[in-house]
Amino acid sequence: MGKIKILLTYLTAFLLILTLCFILPKMMAGDPLMALYGDEALVVMTPQLQAELIERFALNKTLFEQFVAFWGALAHGDLGESYAYNAPVAEVIVKALPWTLLLVGSAFIISALFGILLGIESGSRRGGRLDRSLLTCLMLLNGFPDFVMGILLLLLFGVLLAIFPLAGAVTPYSGETGFSLVIDILHHLALPLGTFILVRIPGIYLLTRNSMVMQMEESYIMTARAKGCSECKVRYHHSARNSLLPVLTLIGTQMASIITGALFVERVFSYPGLGNLLYESLLNRDYPMIQGILLMMTLMVLVINLLVDLLYTRFDPRVAHA
Amino acid sequence: MNAKVNFNQNMVAEHVTDQPVLQIRGLKVNYGEKSILQGIDLELTPDQPLAVIGESGAGKTTLGLSILGLSRGQVSGEIAFKNRDILALPLNELQKLRGREIAMVFQSMANALNPVLKVKDQVAEAAQVHKSFLPKKNMAQWVEDVLVSVELDRDKWSAFPHQLSGGAKQRALIAIAMVNSPDLLILDEPTALQDPLTTATIIRLLKKSIQGRSAIIITHDLSVAAQLSHWTAVLYEGRVIEYGRSRELLQKPRHPYTRGLIRSFPDMMRGKDLQGIPGRSEWLQDGCSFQPRCTQSISICKDRQPILQGDKRHLIACHRGGVIPLLECRNISTSFGSTKVLQDVSCILAEGETLALIGESGSGKTTLARTIMGLVHEDGGEILLEGKTVGKRDKNFYNRVQMICQNPMESINPGMNVLQAVGEPLAIQKIGRSADRDDQVRKVLNAAELPNNKIFLQSYPHHMSGGEAQRVAIARALALEPRLLIADEPTSALDPSVQEKIIRYLLNLQEKKGLALLFISHDIALARKVSDRMAVIRNGRIVETGQTSKIITHPRHPYTRALLEIAAAGSMCSMRLKS
Ligand code: SF4
Repeated sequence: MGKIKILLTYLTAFLLILTLCFILPKMMAGDPLMALYGDEALVVMTPQLQAELIERFALNKTLFEQFVAFWGALAHGDLGESYAYNAPVAEVIVKALPWTLLLVGSAFIISALFGILLGIESGSRRGGRLDRSLLTCLMLLNGFPDFVMGILLLLLFGVLLAIFPLAGAVTPYSGETGFSLVIDILHHLALPLGTFILVRIPGIYLLTRNSMVMQMEESYIMTARAKGCSECKVRYHHSARNSLLPVLTLIGTQMASIITGALFVERVFSYPGLGNLLYESLLNRDYPMIQGILLMMTLMVLVINLLVDLLYTRFDPRVAHA
Repeated sequence: MNAKVNFNQNMVAEHVTDQPVLQIRGLKVNYGEKSILQGIDLELTPDQPLAVIGESGAGKTTLGLSILGLSRGQVSGEIAFKNRDILALPLNELQKLRGREIAMVFQSMANALNPVLKVKDQVAEAAQVHKSFLPKKNMAQWVEDVLVSVELDRDKWSAFPHQLSGGAKQRALIAIAMVNSPDLLILDEPTALQDPLTTATIIRLLKKSIQGRSAIIITHDLSVAAQLSHWTAVLYEGRVIEYGRSRELLQKPRHPYTRGLIRSFPDMMRGKDLQGIPGRSEWLQDGCSFQPRCTQSISICKDRQPILQGDKRHLIACHRGGVIPLLECRNISTSFGSTKVLQDVSCILAEGETLALIGESGSGKTTLARTIMGLVHEDGGEILLEGKTVGKRDKNFYNRVQMICQNPMESINPGMNVLQAVGEPLAIQKIGRSADRDDQVRKVLNAAELPNNKIFLQSYPHHMSGGEAQRVAIARALALEPRLLIADEPTSALDPSVQEKIIRYLLNLQEKKGLALLFISHDIALARKVSDRMAVIRNGRIVETGQTSKIITHPRHPYTRALLEIAAAGSMCSMRLKS
C-alpha cells in the first residue's frame, strides 16, 4: 500500500518537472526559438536549421500540438541538438554520464559506508578514546565546501606531491586497455573521489553517531543485553537498525547536494562528467545542452530519493503500516 | 526452606536447608558521586519468590540490573549466583549467563521491545543467542511453544511492537525471558502501566512462570508483591529497611516507612483515607536514612545508621524497633463504688495511628479515657506511655497527652478569651516567654484554620458556634504538640460539614507529625474512616479488637455485627432502597 503511494508521488513529481520544462521557455517573452536556444544561437542559425527547429517543436502549430510533440521527442530520448558540440544533446550527455555516475556513485557508497560504520562504532563507545578522537577529526572536516577541499587536495597531492594526475578521467591517447586501464581510471578518480568522501563523511558520521548515542539509551538495548546478546549484536542488530533511519533520510537529501557538488568538483579536476559539461555549456550558452543536463540531474535526484523512500519503508515498519 | 536477608552468617547457616541460588553481600552501586545502593544483603532460595518494594528512585531497578551484571554504575560487593561471583565474571561468561540462567522481564514501557523487529524474531533471538546448535525447524517450534504458553494471540506473532497493546507487549517480554527456561527470573515492575484486567491476567501468567524457579519481583505495587511473593524486602534509599514474610509484612508493617507505603497504597478493604509520608527522600549520609521523614525519630537516629536485625522471619532497621506502641493499657479495671465500669481492658495504640474505641453510651469508653488521663483512679492494671509505666500524671505527662471532649466548653474556662484559653497549657508548662507563647498560639490557631487576628484572640469561645469553639479546644490541646490526643466524641455535636473539617485536620496532623489518636465514638461509620485499628467495648469489656478493615468486613463478635448492621441500615443508600 505504502509503496504504491510513494511510486505515484514520484511519478507525479517527475511529470510535473517535465511539464515545467515545456512551459517555462514558452512563458518567456520574444521569439520562442530565442528562448529555447538563446540569442547567440540566432547569429549562427541558418534558415535551414531554423525551419528544421520550427518543424520539430511544432512551433507553427497549436499549443496542444506543441505539447504532444514535446512528449513525443522526449519519449524518443530526443533532447534537442547542441550546436556547440554539433551533436544531439542526448548523445553528448550519454558520453559524460558514466563518469559522473562513477564518481558520484562511488563517492556516495564509500562515504555512506564509512560514515555509518564510524558513526556506529563511535556512538556506541560514547566518551571513549576512539569516540573522542573520531569526533574531533570529523568535526574539523565538517562544513568544508567541496571546491575548497578539491583545491586543497589538488594542490597537495597533485601539484606538491605530484602523486595523482591533475586533470581528466584517463590518460589521453595512452591506448591502455584491460587491467591497466582500470588502474588508470582509478588513479584519475582518486582525488575527486577523495574530495567527495572527505566532505560527505562528517555529516553522515555525526548524524549516525548522534542517533546511536540516543538509541543506546533506549530500553530495548537493555532487553537485548539481558537476553545475552553480544555487544556486536547489540550495536549492529539492535541499535544501528534504529539509528540508521534518520541517516537514510539525510543521505536522500544529501543526494541533491552531491550532484550539485559534482559540478564544482568535476570542474576543479576537469573531470569529463556532467558537471564539467554543464560548466562548458554555460560558457557557450548552449541552452538545449543545459536543459538536458539539468533534466538528467533532476531525474537522478528523483530516482535516488525514490530508492531511499522505498528502503525506509523496509527499515521502519512504523512507516510501512502507518 | 528459607529465604532471608543475610547479615549474619552463623544465623543463616543454621536455618538454610535448601541451598540458596543467589547471595548478595554488601552490594553497593554508585553513579559518580551519587550512591544508589548502599550495602544490600539478600539471599534467595528456589520457589520462594522475593518482592523488592519501595518508591521509585530507591534503587530497586538498579538492584535487578546488578544481578545481571548490567548496572552501569561502579559496583562493589558480591553477588554470588550458584557459587559464581557475577561481579567478577568476564563479559563473555556473563553473556552466556544472561537470558539463559538469569532472565529479566522488563516493564512494557515504550521501546522495551525493538521497534523495528518483529515480535516473534525478538523472542527467537533470545533463544538463538544460547541455542545456536538447534536446527532451524526445532527452533521455530520451540519459539512457538513459548509464545503459546504466554498466551500471545497467534495473529500478533509477526506484528511489530507498535501494533501491540501494552498487555501483549508485556506477554512478549515475558516470552523473551521464559524462552530459555531460566533458573532465576527477575521481574521489573511487570504490571506497571497496565489496566486492572490486564494486570490480573498478567499476574496469573507470572505466577505460572515463576513456579519452581527462583524469582525476584521488583515493584511499587504492593498488591503485586502480595500476590506473587513469599518474602518482601523494603528498599529505602538503597538500603533494605524491612524484610519479612510478605503476608505478615504487608499486613503488619513495623517500619514507619513501610507503614507509610502501605497507607498511601489504595486498598479495597480499607476505609481510612490515603495517608502519605511527609517530606521526600533526602539521601543524608549519617544516621537513619528515613530520619528526616520519620515522626518518631529520637536523637540517636540522626547520628547512627540502624542495622537490619530481628528474628529470622522479620528483620527491621530501626533504632526503636519500628513503629513504637505509644499507649498501652494492660488489664485496666475501674469501678465506681461496687459497679464495675471497666474490667480487664487492654489495648495498644501505636505512634501515628488511630485506635477507635467503639461502644454505646454507658459502655465505659469515656471512663477509659478519663482513667488514662488520671481523672479516674484504676483499681488494677497498668498504663504505659512510650513503654514506661505511667504513675502520677505530671507536667511531663500532659506535655505528651491531651484530651478533647464532646463539649468544648468542658475544657475551656469560661472566663478566658481565645488567647488565654489556647495559651493556658503553655503557661502551665512554663514554656517560653509570654511573647513566644502568643506566637505559638497564633501558629496553632492558623493550623486549625481559625483566624489569628487580634479581634479573634480577644473574643470568648463561649460566644462562638460549636464548630469554632471545638476547634479552639483542639488548638488548645495541640498547643503543646502532644504525641497522643484522646478525642472523646469530638464531633458528635457538630454539623457534618464542620465535622469533616475537624477530622481532616486531625488526620493531617497525624500524617505530618505522627500524632496518635484515641478516637472514642459510638459512630462506627465515622470510626471506619479515621481509624487503623478498632476496639469494640461493651459493658466495660473489650469484646473485639483488630484492624479496622478486618472488623468491618469480618466481624466476629455478635455485638460488633449488630453495631454494623445498625450502621448499615442508617446508610443513605439503603434508605433510598426502602422508601
Ligand atoms: S525511629 Fe529512628 S531509626 Fe527508626 S525509622 Fe525513625 S528515624 Fe529511623
